[in-house]
Amino acid sequence: MKKTLALLLAVAMIITAVPFVFSGCGSSDKSGSKADTATTTLTVGFDAEFPPYGYKDEKTGEYKGFDLDLAAEVCKRNNWELKKQPIDWDSKDMELNSGTIDCIWNGFTINGREDDYTWSVPYIDNSQVVVVGKSSDIKSLADLKGKTVAVQSDSSALAALTGDDATKENKKLAASFKELQQIPNYETALLNLESGAVDAVCMDIGVANYKVEASKDKFRLLDDQISSEQYGIGFKKGNTELKDKVEKTLLEMSKDGTVEKIAKEYKLEDALCLGK
Amino acid sequence: MAALLVPSLLTSCSLDDKSGLGWFFGVILQLSEGMWASLVLFVLTLLFSMPLGLLVCFARRSRFKVVELIAKFYISIMRGTPLMLQLLVVYFGPYFVFKVALSTEYRFYAAIIGFALNYAAYFAEIYRSGIEAVPKGQYEAAHVLGYTKAQTFMKIVFPQMVRHILPPVTNEVITLVKDTSLAFAIAFVEMFTLAKQISATESTIMPLFVAGLFYYIFNLVVSYAMGLLEKKMNYYS
Repeated sequence: MKKTLALLLAVAMIITAVPFVFSGCGSSDKSGSKADTATTTLTVGFDAEFPPYGYKDEKTGEYKGFDLDLAAEVCKRNNWELKKQPIDWDSKDMELNSGTIDCIWNGFTINGREDDYTWSVPYIDNSQVVVVGKSSDIKSLADLKGKTVAVQSDSSALAALTGDDATKENKKLAASFKELQQIPNYETALLNLESGAVDAVCMDIGVANYKVEASKDKFRLLDDQISSEQYGIGFKKGNTELKDKVEKTLLEMSKDGTVEKIAKEYKLEDALCLGK
Repeated sequence: MAALLVPSLLTSCSLDDKSGLGWFFGVILQLSEGMWASLVLFVLTLLFSMPLGLLVCFARRSRFKVVELIAKFYISIMRGTPLMLQLLVVYFGPYFVFKVALSTEYRFYAAIIGFALNYAAYFAEIYRSGIEAVPKGQYEAAHVLGYTKAQTFMKIVFPQMVRHILPPVTNEVITLVKDTSLAFAIAFVEMFTLAKQISATESTIMPLFVAGLFYYIFNLVVSYAMGLLEKKMNYYS
């Protein structure tokens, strides 16, 4: 009898605890959405494993990068507070749609995603290139025939090779590979390349340049490019109000040379396409 | 695989003076924030999942068929689906189902809720095995001696259950230490996430090994503590 009583009590406790938990998160939501409507904070979602656009600085331990520096300047000029939120790249749509982040600003490719987000003007022209080992005998795209090639899963390189909007040549190219391996991040992909597990890695030119330099000549780039594409800031579809504000400030920064100054810090000035 | 890794490890060590003790402690320092996050997640998960597991266990052993079925269903869902999916559901569920706007602070709560719910299911089954290992004769003897059901449980069954379940609980706790790295599915930044980020910036996989060392030491401490507890509980031999 007492056991039953204890059980009933336990069930009652759980049931009463449930609304408490939800009211708990409900109240914190209110404060969150209040901040949104006043746009006092701009929460930028980014993949912190994507240098030089967004990464963890090795000296200070702070999150920095070209995109984050741009975002910081935009916030400074609008008197907003910038919140840098590292996210799991695979969950980016859930984060954006549920309002936990205000925008995705992280070397985010527009091409192929035109209708999925409300986009700012493109600010970086980014092409997809092929990284191979320094002493590899692969010289052109045609040499990739019968080779094992790695790409980051859900990346622009993968979309350019096998996506719905991929060009015929690229689809043919992808079909000529021995295997197209999907690897969760660039770091692992390059480790695979270095250890000989794959013959080539397709990735964004900005990251590729950074990695080739950091590798101290372990890798090199092919002259042929797989595709050219552009980066923009992605906002939740329909959030034109915030997009317009950010874009206006960004264009002002481009006019007075601030954008180029920041780009030079990250050696991205050649890829800039804002206002061109 | 190991043969492939070792040379690349050596080269990445000799690059950029990334082999020094100073660099090693630099990485530790950068990881420390994440270590704290992992530790908090670990402690709070245990704090909530262990009692919750006992409730689920009671429900699972209930005389009422409905209660038993609910508990069985709960356990089968929690054990049968990936923890990463459960975390995503706990975090994003309120928005996609009830259209409640989410706050950033909720990430932390969602991680704790998700882990506690999941681990409670495993603990419930471990507790059940411990309770059912107590021979029926002891219940009968207790009844004859005039113990109530509650007294029988608290004074006779529970102490023996604790003794029985220590080894499997140790297993679960050690798994939990390593599972904390799954919390990044909902962008809860813990140690392994930081290690991956540092690794991406510095173009070396050494930070991952430093993180591995941390998990290993953490688990050594856990198994040592549980070993001591086991020894203390082993009062019959």
